[in-house]
This record gives sequence, structure tokens and C-alpha cells, in this order.
Amino acid sequence: MQEFAYPVLTVLVFFPLLSAVGLFFLKGDNTVRVYTLGVSIIELALSFPLFAGFKLESAAFQFVERMDWVKQWGVEYYLGTDGISFLMVVLTIAVLPLCVLCSWTYIQTRVKEFHFCLLFMTAACVGVFTALDLVLFYVFWEAMLVPMYLLIAVWGGPEKRYASLKFFLYTLAGSALLLVAIVAFRIAGGTFAIPELMEQNFTFNFQFWAFLALALAFAIKVPMFPFHTWLPAAHVQAPTAGSVILASVLLKMGTYGFLRFNLPLTPAASEYFAPFMIAISITGILYGGIVALGQNDIKKVIAYSSVGHMGFVTLGIFLFNQRGLEGALFQMLNHGITTGGLFMMIGAVYERSHSRELDDNLGLGKYMPAYMFFWGLFALSSFGFPGTNSFVGEILVFVGAFEQNPWIGALMVPGAMVAAAYMLRVSLKLAWGRPTSWKEWPDLNLREWTYLVIPAVFVLYIGLAPGLCFKVMDASLIKLEKDVKEGARVVAMEKEKPAEVALNSLKGIIK
Amino acid sequence: MTINGFLHPALAFIALAMALPFFRGKQWKWFLLIPPVIAIAVVFTATLGNFGVIPYLGNVLVLGRVDKLSLVFANVFAIQSLIGMIYALHMDDKAHHAAAALYVAGSFGCVFAGDYLSLFIFWELMAVASTFLVWLHRTKTSSAAGFRYFLFHMLGGLFLLGGLLLRYSEIGTFAFLPVDPQGMEYYDWLILIGFCVNAAVVPLHAWLPDAYPEATIPGAVFMCAFTTKTAVYVLARGFSGVYALAVAGTFMAVYGVLYASMENNARRILSYHIVSQVGYMVAGIGIGSAMCINGAVAHAYAHILYKGLLFMSVGTVLFAVGTADLDKLGGLVGKMPVVMLLYMVGAVSISGMPLFNGFVSKTMTITGAAESHHTLLAVGLEIAAVGTFLSVGIKLPYFAFWNKPAKTDIKLNPIPKNMYVAMGIAAFLCFAQGVYPQMLYKLLPFPVEYHPYTAWHLLQAAMLLSFTGAGFWIMRKVIVPHYGRNLDFDKLYRFIGNMGLLLVCRPIAWADSIWTTAYRVIGLKWLMDSAAGSSWFDRTGIDTVVDGTAYTVRNVGKAGARIQTGRLQDYLGLAVVIALCVYGLVWYFG
Repeated sequence: MQEFAYPVLTVLVFFPLLSAVGLFFLKGDNTVRVYTLGVSIIELALSFPLFAGFKLESAAFQFVERMDWVKQWGVEYYLGTDGISFLMVVLTIAVLPLCVLCSWTYIQTRVKEFHFCLLFMTAACVGVFTALDLVLFYVFWEAMLVPMYLLIAVWGGPEKRYASLKFFLYTLAGSALLLVAIVAFRIAGGTFAIPELMEQNFTFNFQFWAFLALALAFAIKVPMFPFHTWLPAAHVQAPTAGSVILASVLLKMGTYGFLRFNLPLTPAASEYFAPFMIAISITGILYGGIVALGQNDIKKVIAYSSVGHMGFVTLGIFLFNQRGLEGALFQMLNHGITTGGLFMMIGAVYERSHSRELDDNLGLGKYMPAYMFFWGLFALSSFGFPGTNSFVGEILVFVGAFEQNPWIGALMVPGAMVAAAYMLRVSLKLAWGRPTSWKEWPDLNLREWTYLVIPAVFVLYIGLAPGLCFKVMDASLIKLEKDVKEGARVVAMEKEKPAEVALNSLKGIIK
Repeated sequence: MTINGFLHPALAFIALAMALPFFRGKQWKWFLLIPPVIAIAVVFTATLGNFGVIPYLGNVLVLGRVDKLSLVFANVFAIQSLIGMIYALHMDDKAHHAAAALYVAGSFGCVFAGDYLSLFIFWELMAVASTFLVWLHRTKTSSAAGFRYFLFHMLGGLFLLGGLLLRYSEIGTFAFLPVDPQGMEYYDWLILIGFCVNAAVVPLHAWLPDAYPEATIPGAVFMCAFTTKTAVYVLARGFSGVYALAVAGTFMAVYGVLYASMENNARRILSYHIVSQVGYMVAGIGIGSAMCINGAVAHAYAHILYKGLLFMSVGTVLFAVGTADLDKLGGLVGKMPVVMLLYMVGAVSISGMPLFNGFVSKTMTITGAAESHHTLLAVGLEIAAVGTFLSVGIKLPYFAFWNKPAKTDIKLNPIPKNMYVAMGIAAFLCFAQGVYPQMLYKLLPFPVEYHPYTAWHLLQAAMLLSFTGAGFWIMRKVIVPHYGRNLDFDKLYRFIGNMGLLLVCRPIAWADSIWTTAYRVIGLKWLMDSAAGSSWFDRTGIDTVVDGTAYTVRNVGKAGARIQTGRLQDYLGLAVVIALCVYGLVWYFG
């Protein structure tokens, strides 16, 4: 089934993992950093065949690798990528070198273990985005929890115990139901292979419960209101690199799950629940924005802004039209770039002021012009300023929403405005506030320039020339939209409401 | 030398403006002369045709429409840009040179533009760049005058923009073609108004005598050549034969001269003469016969040269003495004889004295008007010619260079050589074209069948000039210039502007400040309060439930652990209690 001379995706998954083992034979902190940076760049180079061989017009899974894993249970080792996951894989791989660079001086203790966690994390994340077997997916999904927990718990801030445990428990609670859903799909569909499950039509009752089980797991991961409170805690306590991976990659897994599982596997239920999902998405946009406005910790502002931004993504997904889906996928990519950039900037200023409080970082515009330039660029991008990447995503979701129902669009508008309000509030104070704590801090050095220029270039590139990204995602999204609409039509809703069925069967058990 | 295709002269000037900030050292000033030289080379070697055709949003933009009409204007623009750059060569102000270069680039762009959209872009470039030529004089009055100048040109630009967009929505093209004078639509009139602002057609002219006397010395030299003449070009291109222009032009010619005769400031006198001289051109275009158009174009060509020369020599006086007010000047002939001589070349040219270029161009328009039976217009233009000689040819030099002896304590700034060189070139060209009219005539868009040096024309000119001279000698005590400013339409503009401020802006500003207060006190406070409230809810509301669940589970676990005492009797007792409870429940419900 391979289209390339060697298994590209497997290499991308296991190369960081194997390299991580190599860390334990190294001595000296700087050696470890240089080694990891090298590994991350090689990983980036290894993804080149992905760019070269990816067929833009095809909606099918590409770079497919398939073999038996546990034959008697039908579990397979099954990898592949399409227009939906391609950009996420690239994002994951591209974030790794930036994480290494932004932790260069930030992390001073247990350097070796830290970089082990980073590499392990990357492997698991690439696995999540490429797995086409439910069990394999679940394995990667859970595997990524551990390094993230460690990143927060070991290298985190003062409340790291609380934050890491909260993150772990929350996600685990969600994944328990995910496991239930996976088993249910195996029983109902007879296979763990996702592409084959997509071909089948399940009864509405089954879809109803499967949707809920999947949606809870993913909603926690996104996070959607009201399951979001682990996010600010984790973000604030995590080290810079942890925040970057968390924002850029981990949050995307939730929305990726919606796109990969909920929509194609349970189309009828997705359509049934769409109004509800849209409602909590809009609540998330507004609520996240308003709460972000009330924060004095810069990192918390950005953390809550993520709640709002991811609300745009889930909203776009559940609009079920071409523009909405494109907007959602764009917003996933853009949020990864922009919010990642902002977290790196907060890390940079934290290394100078040793505080994330807004009041301790006032008036930097005069002393750190380069810093404020990048901050301004990412801030503009964050609230969707025209010409930056987020504008493309946000406007697509807007168009999709107005196509669907003008009222949905109208409700989004205050969300976009609040986004401008909280970003400008922070930016104005950072740039022009009366300096209180500035003590000869130097402006950005070469290393910081390097890891900020890369996302900045993509902010403008995607903002000004989004054509290529459209080409990557369009074929898959058109197929997805068609499948969902057809799948929802085939399965007529049954007379009995699913909740009543469940209640009746529960009564039956008691009697 | 042939240039492959067509090198747009504007490019060279824009490149100069871009490069100026990076020049270092002392020798960078020589770079200023490169774009004019390139422009001269281009206009003398250009082949006719359309160049730089850019498809844009389903339309076609033409940046390089090279035909006889555009080429003759480009020709004189190129020569005048060289003269102007030489005249400005002593200045160290890079911003000034950049503004001048962009201004010249804008007028080249307008002349070669084949569509209204690119015309508009260069039109606005001219307006912005020339405003800086006023501002860079850096006096209080020049700041105010520059601002008024800018506002007025923006207004004119808006008329042009509105007209071209409405025209586009009606006929679906931006192409810049002649209109049918009998079938002008409303959008054509809008465009015409926009053009008339730049052509200083009365009563839209007051910006010109308001701003030009306030511009920098070389800035005025540039401005007197390009803005109005670009407007003359677009009028000739688009609106020839529109009779309203013929009337307006004649009126301008007389009106400008009238004010020029009353004025005191030398540069303002010359500014009013621009209004008057452009009047000849506008009238010629309005009449629209081949001879009149030729006359208008020829006059524009000649006018750029001699008006440039006049502004340069008056500018030199201003540079040396520090004022251009006639009541403060006098008796300078002994101090600066060469400047006086050069000035007089310009003065006799503008007055239409034989052997100078004003004679070969001005009489062409008047004759054309007479030949096409516009007798009234021809008479008006003759009257204006009398006034021109009176004010520029006699009054201005008389009060500046003679009249009374110079003040003994007067101390003159040394005049840089480059100023003399620039004036010398202009004076030579004025004379050469007067002696050899074919030099000018062969550039004109239509074949020329006009001969200036006939006995009748010479007699006419001689009579006109001598009677004017005699008249001045009689009246010389009466028309002594006085300090002060004459009432003109700019007072009306300012009145309208101030009333606008008073009636519209003030009430709106008042309402806006109240709204701002309301927004800050009610809106913003509400927003920040709700943000703080939501933040509190997030911490205590949602987290209490979430963390509470976790703590409850942990506490239940702890309680369970406490029950595990390891003593058998405890377990038995507990088992009995639970069994009793279950039995009770079954008994009650069952």
C-alpha cells in the first residue's frame, strides 16, 4: 500500500522517539540542547517527502501504511494522512525546533529529561494526527498525556502540582468515554479501521450515544466551554515550551477529533447536535473573550483567548458548509502559529522580568522595540487583523456562519470585538504603560529573533497568500461535507427519542 | 539612441526620490540632474504608441500613451525639470528634492496616462508632493497656506474621483478619451470641475496666488510649471471644444491681470499672471479649432519657460534681499544688473514682444479666436495682453529695480552660480524660440499654418506695447504698490470653511465628547465589570464544581479507607447495618 520508497509517516513518528533514547548517552546541558535542535531539524527535513509527494487534488488518504498489529482482535498498525491532517502534522513538526530554541535558557534543571519529553511528545502528536486505526489512535492519544503531565509537573510554576493533576484528570476522564466509544464501534462496525467505518451507516440511536461519548472527550481537549478551566491553569504553570506545544498542537487534537471521528462516523447525530454545539461554541467565544479581558496575568489572557479562538474552530466545524470547514481548519493552523508565537514572547519577557503580571511589564516599547514589533504583529494576528493569517480563518468562519444563519454571524461579531479589546488592552500597556520595573533589559537576541521570525513569516504569508493552504485542504473538506450530508440523509431518525430508549432499557434492567 | 520600448520618465524621478535618503557625502547633488537628463533623452527619442499596458481587474491601465499631444508637454516638462533642478542645486534639504522629484514624476505620469485611474493616482501624487514644496518653506504662513492648498486640491481630486467612478459605472471603462462637447454627461462635468481646480479656473483659482508666494524659492519655480500645465494638458486631451471653457478662459485672462496690477508682492503678481496666462490656454482649448489648440499648447510650452524664468529671477531677488514686496524693494538695478536683465527677458516674453517666445504663441491663440469669429473673446484676450505688459513688463521691474534709490544699509545674500545657470538656460530658450518659431511649431499636435512675423502682427504688438508704456508713465504716481492683501475668492473659501467648522464640526464634536464620556463611564465600565465578574465566576463557579468533584471523590476514598480498620467485628456490624437498610428499602418499595 506504500506510495513512497520508504514508510514516511512511520519514520516521522519513530525518529524522534529513537533519538530521544540517544539523549541518555550525552553529557552536558548544551550538548543536549544542540542535539535536540539537530534532531528537530532532521525531523523537519524528513517531512520533505510529505510536501513533495502530497497530491493536492486527492481527497483519499495518502502515504498509507497498513499491517496487522494484534491479529486476533483486529487491531492494525494503520497510518495515513489527508488534507485535514496534513497541515496539523506539518505544524507539529515545525513547532519542535521553536520549542527547543525558546527553552534554551529558560530550562536550567533536568535538561536531558525535558528534551526527552519534547521529543516523546512530538512522536505521540504526529501519531495522533496520522493514526487511522482507532486503537492505535487511542494509544497515541494517551501517550501524549504523560510527557505533557511531566512538562507541567516538573518544570512548571509554583502551582504546578494542582495544574498538572487537573490537566491529567480532566483529559483522562474524557478519554475513558473515548475508549467506550471505540469498543462500541468495534462491536457495531466490526473493525477498528477508520476509513472502513466511514463507509458504514450506523443506526441513529447508536450514533447518538457514540457522538456524545466522542464529543465529551474532544470537547475537553479543545477545550469547549464549560470544560475549559484546566487550560488557564495548565498554561500559566507550564514552561514556555509546554505552553507552546499545548496551544499549538494539543488543542488541535480536540477539533481534529471532531473532524475525523464525529462528522464522518456519526453524521446524523452530528447534524442533530449541531445547534447545541454551535450554541456552546458561541458561548465559548464570548465567554473566553470576556474572561480574557478581566485577567492581569498576560499568560492567562492568552490562555483564555485560546478558548475564544477554539470556539471559532468548533463553530466552523458544525456549520457543515465549505466555508465554515475551511475556516475551522485555517483557524486551527493560525491559532497554532499565532498563539504559539505569543506564548514564546511571554516566555522571552518572563526571562527578563521574572513575572507574568501585566503591571510588572509596562512600557517596553521604548526599550525593546524589536520585541514590541513582534508582539504587535502577533497581537494583530490574534484578533484577526486583515492581512494576517487569522483574518483569513476568521472571515471564512464568518462567511460560513452568515451563509447558515445571519443570527449566528451576528452573535460572533461581539466575540471578534472583545478579542480586539483584550489584545489591545494588553498591547497598549506593554508598549506605552509607565515603566515600573524595567532594569536595563536587553532587546531580543539572535536566538529570540530566530524563533520569532519563523512564525512571523507565516503570519504574513498565510495572511497575504492563503492559496496553497486552500489547495491542500479543499479536496478532503469537500468530500467530508458531502459525506456528512449524505450520511445524515440515509439514516432517518427513529420514532423513539434516544434518551427515552435509554431510560426504558434502564428500567428494563432494574425490573 | 533608441530606447527599447519606452522608459517612463516618472520612474527615474521616483527612483531618485527613493534613493535620496541613502545618499551620503557631498557629491550626491549631481544625481539630481540624472532623471531630468534621462527624461530629455526619452522625450526626444520616444516612438509613438501605447506602452505599459496593464490589465487590472478586467480593465486596462495604460501608463504610457505616447502621442504628439502628450509628447509636447513631456518635452517642456523634461526641459523645465532640468532647469528647476539646476536652480535648486544649492539646497541641502533632501526632503525638498524628494518632494520636487515626486511632483515632477506625478506630472509625467499624468501626461502619459491613458486611463483615468492611473491619471488619478499620479494626480494625487502631484497634489501631495507639491504641498510639501509649500510646507518646506517652514514659515508660519507657509504652513497655513500649504494646508489650505492641500485641502483645496483634495477637494478637486474628489471631484475627479467621483466623476471617473460614476463614469465607470455608467459606461464601464476608465479610458481617457475626448468627450463630445455637445453630449457631456454629469460625470464629465464632475471630472471637468476636478481638472478646473488644478487649472485655476476662476473662481476655483484662489489657491494659486495663496500658496505659490508661500512656497520655497525653487518650489515655486517647479509649481508654476507643472500643476496648471498638467491641467491644461488634460483639458486639451479630454475637453477641447467645450465652449464654457472658452468663456471661462477669457475671464481668467482678464481677471488675473486685474489682480496682478493691484498686487504688491512680486511672487503674488506672477501667480495672478499664471491665472491670466492659463486663461489664454483654457480659452484656446474651449474654442477648440486646430489653430486655437495649437496656440494653447504652444502658449503652455512658452509659458513654462518664461514664467519659470520670471519666478526664478524674482526668487533670486527674494533670496538675495529677503523680501519680494515691491514697497520694500527699489533701486536694485545697480546691485544685481544680470538678474534684472534676465528678468526682463522673461517679462518681454510674457508681454508678447517680437523676438521672444510669448509673441509666437500668444498671438496664435488670439488670431485663432478672431478667425473662428469669437470676436468678443479675442478682444478680451487683447485687453489681458495690455494688462500683462503693464504689470509684469513695466510695473514690477520699475518698482523693484528703479523707482527709488536702494537703501544704503541693504546687505545682499550672495547668489549661487547654479541660479544664474538655470536662468540663463531659460532666457536662451525664450529668445531662441522667439527668433526661430519652427523649433516650437514642429512639436505641436496639429500642422501649423500660422506665421507670426507678418507686418500686421508686428505693428499690432508695437502699438500695444508702446501705448501701454505711455499709459504707465502718466499713471506711475497713482499706481504705487501698497502693502496689504486684496480681497479674492480665497476669503470666500475661508468663510465657507469657518462656517463649516462652526455649524457642523463644533456641534458634532460636542455631541461626540458627550458620547465618549458615556462610552467611558457606562460602556467601558460595564464591559470591564462584566469581565471581572466572569473571571470570578470562572474561578469560583466552574472550578468549584470541577475541583469539588475531584475533592469529593478523594474524600469518599479517604472515608472508605478509614472504614477499613481490619477488625472483623467492625465489618460484621457494618454488613448487618447495610443488610437491614437494603431489606428496609425492598420492604418499603416492593
